Amino acid sequence: MEIKADLCIGCGQCVIICPVQAIKLIDNIAVIDKTLCVECSICKRNADCLVNAIRSRRLKWPRVIRSPFSDVISTHKLTGIPGRGTEEMKTNDVTNRFGVDEIGFSIEIGRPGVGTHLGNIELFTTKLTSIGVNFERESPVSALLIDDSGHIKKDIKEERVLSAIIEFKVPLNKAILVLQAIKQIEKTIDTVFTVGVISQVMKNGAIPILDLLTQQGFSVRPNAKVNIGLGKV
Amino acid sequence: MTHSLHRTGKINDLKSDYIILAMLAAGINDKYPDAKQKLLRVAEILNQNNPVNIIPKPAWKISPVITATFIDIEMVKNVIQTLIQEDLGVSIVISGLISEIQEAVKETGLKMHTIHLSLGTFGRKELLPSEEILEITTMCGHHCVSPQSVKYYVELIKSGKISVENAAKKLSKPCVCGIFNPTRAIALLNKLSGIFS
Repeated sequence: MEIKADLCIGCGQCVIICPVQAIKLIDNIAVIDKTLCVECSICKRNADCLVNAIRSRRLKWPRVIRSPFSDVISTHKLTGIPGRGTEEMKTNDVTNRFGVDEIGFSIEIGRPGVGTHLGNIELFTTKLTSIGVNFERESPVSALLIDDSGHIKKDIKEERVLSAIIEFKVPLNKAILVLQAIKQIEKTIDTVFTVGVISQVMKNGAIPILDLLTQQGFSVRPNAKVNIGLGKV
Repeated sequence: MTHSLHRTGKINDLKSDYIILAMLAAGINDKYPDAKQKLLRVAEILNQNNPVNIIPKPAWKISPVITATFIDIEMVKNVIQTLIQEDLGVSIVISGLISEIQEAVKETGLKMHTIHLSLGTFGRKELLPSEEILEITTMCGHHCVSPQSVKYYVELIKSGKISVENAAKKLSKPCVCGIFNPTRAIALLNKLSGIFS
């Protein structure tokens, strides 16, 4: 994004609306910090700029990678879905993507609202690769992996985005290794991340992963997403 | 798209915050000739049950997902019952309090198929805004609502320059998915601006 200095009247609406605080008023003119800007386009769509000073720029590689990981309108070429994730459990009643003995994980780096540089993805993917997880192939993050060790393209590591979701599944008996890795990475990462855990619900209502989460010292929030099984092939 | 999963808040607040999402599986049941019609029918059903927010109508025909927000679990039950009757075969995901969803599903004769649990936030939590502000900003899971816009509108409310209702409407604008709950935002803004503590 860019703000035309010759048009800006310094009303500050774009400063307020920027989710990553990348816009500041300098001498009463709004200026975008290009390092912090994640190319989410929220300022252009929602600041109601009276003088149309906020403009999209044609982005070059590697900066162009910021947009699909930040702009909710931007549809990622790999997933065909607006946003940063995949169908994951939303259609599991049809796809059986997560079987009864499997646990899915969604680790969203930079959420809620702090943002991240893409290099943080490697903190997780190199560790998870050694555990032997099965990465979701349709995930935008999977498209960034360049080898079987969980490394990503070097030239994109410094690019800042609003968030990046690592989606994968493991057999239930390997979930403990993932939980332990999360605890280790939490100590070294320079941003925040959220963790979601996906499980089929047994016919008796049991959720097999719950005991393990408690044993490992994780708290489960009282709200969740529930697929109620109405989908049909 | 874990965008409705990590909403924060106290249990009492979350009792008035449910999102229903409808989706067809890519390459499987979205390929049938009547697939789009079925998704549109779900959108109509959601719209007929008094959502406080819904994905904008122009997007119904082009979006692969349909989303709507409700403040009452009874409305959610009505939606489920209609969907069971019409047997559209579209996958339905409900976000909200597990205990309430469990009860609603049981009452309508269904069982939970798959659950996506939230373990919350990890890492440098000192970078986050206050819990009260997060309760509002996390209602847009793509984080299009900035913490400073919440503070800005709280100050405007306090100085009488905007009504709480209009402030909630302004805050919901960047959320294009229809999952920001403006009714819950009004209650939270009232608390933040000291109108009701």
